[in-house]
This record gives sequence, structure tokens and C-alpha cells, in this order.
Amino acid sequence: MGQINNKLAANAIVWLLLLTAPFWMHWVGGYTELGSRVLVMALAAMALNFLLGFTGVLSFGHAAYFGLGAYGAAMTIKYLVPSTPLAILVGVLVGTAAAAIIGTLIVKLRGVYFAMVTIAFGQVFYFITFRWNTVTGGDDGLTNWTRVPIDLGFTKLDILHNPELFYYFILFFFALSVALMTILLRSPFGRTLLAIRENERRARFLGIPVERHIWLSFTISCFFVSIAGALYALLNNFVDPRALYWGLSGNFVIMAVLGGMRSFWGPLVGAVIFVVLQDYVSSMTQNWESFIGLLFVLIVLFFPRGVLGIVRRKVAS
Amino acid sequence: MTVNDSSSKKVSRRTVLKAAATAGALQLVPPFIIKARGEEPVRLGLDNPLTGTYAALGKNELYGCKLALEQINAKGGILGRKAELLVEDSTSGDAGTTVQKARKLIDRDHVNFLIGNINSALALAMAAVAYEKGVFMIDPGGHTDAVTGTSCHWNVFRICNPTQTEANAVAGTLIRDFGKKWYYITPDYAFGHTLEAGMIKAAAKLGGTRVGGALTPLGTTDFSSYLIAAQAAKPDVIIFLVQGDDQVNALKQAVQFGLQKRFHLAGAQGELEPQEGLPPEARIGTWVFEWYWKQPGVPHVAEFVAAIKKMSGRVPTARTWFGYAATWTCALAANGAKSLEAVKMAKFLQGYHLPPEVALMPNGAFFRAGQNQLIGDLYVGHAQAHGSAPDDLFKVTDVVKGIDISGTLEDTGCKMTWPA
Repeated sequence: MGQINNKLAANAIVWLLLLTAPFWMHWVGGYTELGSRVLVMALAAMALNFLLGFTGVLSFGHAAYFGLGAYGAAMTIKYLVPSTPLAILVGVLVGTAAAAIIGTLIVKLRGVYFAMVTIAFGQVFYFITFRWNTVTGGDDGLTNWTRVPIDLGFTKLDILHNPELFYYFILFFFALSVALMTILLRSPFGRTLLAIRENERRARFLGIPVERHIWLSFTISCFFVSIAGALYALLNNFVDPRALYWGLSGNFVIMAVLGGMRSFWGPLVGAVIFVVLQDYVSSMTQNWESFIGLLFVLIVLFFPRGVLGIVRRKVAS
Repeated sequence: MTVNDSSSKKVSRRTVLKAAATAGALQLVPPFIIKARGEEPVRLGLDNPLTGTYAALGKNELYGCKLALEQINAKGGILGRKAELLVEDSTSGDAGTTVQKARKLIDRDHVNFLIGNINSALALAMAAVAYEKGVFMIDPGGHTDAVTGTSCHWNVFRICNPTQTEANAVAGTLIRDFGKKWYYITPDYAFGHTLEAGMIKAAAKLGGTRVGGALTPLGTTDFSSYLIAAQAAKPDVIIFLVQGDDQVNALKQAVQFGLQKRFHLAGAQGELEPQEGLPPEARIGTWVFEWYWKQPGVPHVAEFVAAIKKMSGRVPTARTWFGYAATWTCALAANGAKSLEAVKMAKFLQGYHLPPEVALMPNGAFFRAGQNQLIGDLYVGHAQAHGSAPDDLFKVTDVVKGIDISGTLEDTGCKMTWPA
């Protein structure tokens, strides 16, 4: 009973903090767009964690689908129709479709081989965007487009000029994705993924089609990461090939592990630490990456369950 | 008693640990922003690379900004208020971080001016933010044509030259002195492609032709196959458009092959920083510099060189001057327009000539109206193994007037819309 209460309280606190963020952020030296960035990165890290933490498969190529989502959204607005919802839809479709196809080719691989092949496929997409200058803008990135205010009929949401409104716009998608992830993880499908994570051979003996489940988990995870990617492009009003670079995939993994990849909210905590630390420390010293690196090493060595793992152990004791 | 003793000991160890951790964490706590205490300073936000590939260039621009800021404050500041420089590391290539830093400077720190960025892609990304927010921005050293061309904005100004202007500057000298058949060694990404296209266009106007070319991936260390292909094409001139470490490697190997004895070697954009990284025998070929510290007879240059030497221990490079001129432009625009409103400052700068102590060029420099591009002189010459001073690695042979080679306003493709 106490455990359930704790869980409810934790959820309530997380949502309360997220909902009120624009009102208190400036008191602690933040600004609304930092909050928006935290949300986007957190969504990406939680998406990755769907695969890493709850299926036990490590991907180092999630930035590719993040970037495809971003380019899909950006190119829709720039070349097709100036519509923000449609841009998100196209971005998500492109990212998810690519993941579904690549997924079929790699589901048989495990462990470090899976990770390396995801990097390789990710870099393929990276180089395509980097070199296809006429369409993607190449290294210069895709400019001269902005997110478009949304006309709801009875009212107009000016997400372009009102950063607080855009924060809530992102929070809406974040909440939707989180709800979907929760439902999926609580379903028999989610339980099966956990079974695969805990003991793949045993799951196979039980007659579970392991490959199909890993493929589904990979595709679903990339579906969420491409939502994050599309929102990222809209947040920056800009997208360049770095959004697909494997270094960014590495950052997602760091966020997930930092916060705790066995906990549902772990990647959110990791993203908060990563993005905020980067924001503050990089203003003070050029060597901000060493701080993140040091923290990462300490966490992995001493608290392999991440920051939330520590908190949970304290609460339990 | 003993029980109490041991427990208090345990607590005290923990307390010490916790205190240490808290003290450590406190270093990361952001300072509270204090609003309007007396006269608020005018803020300039520099969002430029301090780490990565462009770190060396970024640090030189920062020296220039700092010197300009000292001088501005010594002369009464901006509109009588103190000027303050906030510096953020944009990284050398991560647009997400750059954009986030630009937003941080605008939204949290309320800067009046935004300055950056060396990486052309990042400059374009920053320009998009500045345009969205209507903040006055100046790009000291991002060269891609689009910044003051097809992607130009009313509030975005630029100090360094577009790549096309650099190509035009060197083309005349090369064709006149060395021949019309050119072979290109081009880095394989957007910057290289536009620079090569610019060179081909500039050469074609004067009857020059492209006899061949190689696209080299960024970060190439072995250029031998490209150099062999270049020899086989029998050009008059081999044009090196690669930059940074790639340029150093390509030139070193060209000299090992003895290419400089049979062909003329040249490039478009030359900078002092890579020349310093080359062994003396590889400091060869014709280049364009956008500013050079050794300009005998040009007023105020000597004072500027001395001041930078005192600050950094090195002579200023073109990058140092970019930062210097960019920072001064902010102050001049505000003081001239008697306002910190971006529109008024931008209007004031249309066709504005920089004063000689900021321009530091024989023919001066001005912002072309309708394009917001600074047009000054360019220095064509050749690299030299040893000069009169240890830092004198470039011999200027022609000073080209920028306005003669900048094309018309229509050529740039810039169409500006001003806010109503």
C-alpha cells in the first residue's frame, strides 16, 4: 500500500513540476526554452529507454530516427504545407517507417553487435542529409522556415511568438507519449518485453516470438523518438545533420543511464541533469563535457541504477 | 554513553560528506538575476565556438571583442551606459546548443546585441532566432553567401566577406599571373561546394576553365591520390579550398610531392592560424586574407596590433579584427541611432562607413544598404616561409577594393522585408 502511495505521490510531483515549470524557472536562473528543451530530450531518452530499460536492447542509432522526424517536420513546412500538426505527423511517419524497415534487418543481432549496426545505419542517414545539399541544405542545415501558429477554428494558438504556449504544446505531446508508453508497458505486451529482458532463452522456450517483439519494441521506441525529433525541429526553427549524428544517440543513452534506466521516470531525471548541467556549466567553463563525463563515470561505477535508483533505495530503507 | 558517542561520530562523518557535496553542488547554482539596480548595463551576447574545430579562431575573435569593449567603455559606453559582454560557447557544430544559447542570451539575459558565429551553418541558425525575436545581430566570421544573400534579414549584419567575394578577389590575380587552367581540391560539404562554384564563376568571367577537381571528405589525412590526379590533369594552378587541418595536410603533401615546382598552388580563403600550423617549407601559394596585421601607412593599425599583442601575446589575425569590428559596430549603431531599438539601429547602419580606427583598412569599409554586408578591402598575396617578424607569414601583393568585386545587390539574391 505504502509503495503505491509513494508511486502516486512521485507521479503527482513530477506532473506538478512540469505543469508549473514556466512560472518558477526564472527564479532559479532558467528560461522557458530551456524547459522545452528538457522536455524534448526527456521524451527522446524515455523513448530510447523503452528499448534499453524495458526490453534490454541497446541502440546507439536513435539519433537517426530523431533526426528523420526533425527533417520530416522541417521539410514539410518548408516545401509542402505550412502546417505544424501535419509537419509532426509527416516527421513521425518518416522516422517510424525507416525504423520499421531497418528493424527487420537487425532484430536477429544481440548486444554489442546490435548497438554497432544501429550506429552504422544511423550514420547512413547522417551522411545522406550531410551530402544531399539541394534538398536538405547539407551542412548549412535547413533554414528559412518557422513553426506555424495553429488555427483551432474558435481560437488561434500562437506557438511561434509565445514561448510559454509552445512549452505547453510540447508538454501536451510529452504527456500523450508518456501515457501511451505506460499503457503499453502495463499491457501483456509490455510484460512480455520485460520477460525477454530478464531471460531471453526462457521467453523463447515459452513460445514467445522474441524477434517479432524486439522488432515491435524497436519500432515503437523509434516512433516516440521521432515525435521528440519533430518537436526538436519546431523548437529550434532549424535542423541540421547533427540531429542525426551518432554522438546525439550517445547523449540519449547517457541521459537514460544517468537517471536510471530501470525506472520509468529515470530518463526524465537524466535529461534534466544533462541539459541543465550543460546549460549552466558551459557558460562558466569550456570543459563542461568533462563534468558530464565525470558524473557519468561516478554514477555507473557506484550507482548502476542511476539517480532514481539511489532515491528509490533511500525510500525503501 | 558509548552508544551515543558512536552514533554522533557516524553522524558527523555523514555531515562532513554531505557538507562537502553541498558545497560542491553550490558551485553549480546559477546566480540570481538582479533586475535593474540603478543603471543597467547594455549587454552584448557572444555565441561563438570556444571548443572543437573552430576553438582557435573563436578565441581570437573573443580577444577582438574584449579589446573593443574596453575601448567602448573607456569612451563613455553605449548611450552613456556601461557595456557588458556575455560569452557563451556555441560549440563548433551543434546547432541545437547554439540556438539554445542564443535563446538564453535573448530571453534570460535580455541582451541588446547578439554576436556570432564562425560556423556558417550555426550563423544561419542564430540568424533565424535573431530574426524571430527581432534582436540586432552581427555575424563576425561565418562566410557562407546566404547570411547576407538569399537568407538575409533586416536585423542581421556581417563583418567577414561572402565566399563569392573571396573567390572574385583572388581570381583576377591568378589568371593574370599564373594561367587559366585550374584544378580544384575541394572539401566535400556545403561550404566547399559553394566556394568551388564561386571560383568557377569568377574564373569563367575572365576566361578561366576548370580542368578537373577532387572532392575530399572532411578530415582527410592522405591526399596523395588526389594530388596524383591533379598532376595528371596538367593544370596551370591547383586550387586548395580545404580548410583547417585538412589544408595543413594537403599542403604538406603537395610540397613532399614537389608540386610547387611544376604548378602554381593557390587557395581562396587564407588565414593566419593554419599558416602558423604549417612547416616553413609548406607556407606557399597565393591566398586571400580578409585582414592583415602588417599594413604600413594605414592609420591606427599599429595601435590595434600593439593593444592585442599586450592582451594575448600574439599579433591579431583577421579573426581578431572580425570580433573587434563587430563589437564596435554594435556601439556605433546604438550611439548613432541614439536608441537600442533594433529597427532604428539597423536603419542607421544602411550605407554607414566605419570610422578609420575601427575599419583599419586603406580604403575604409562600409555596410552596403539593402544587404547589411560590410564591404572593405581584401588582401591578395602569397604565403612566405619567413617574414620580417616571426608572425609575418603572408606577403600582400594586391589590395583589392571589395566594392569592385562584390557584384550588384541583385547578384547577392538578398531581398529584405522590414517590419512595418
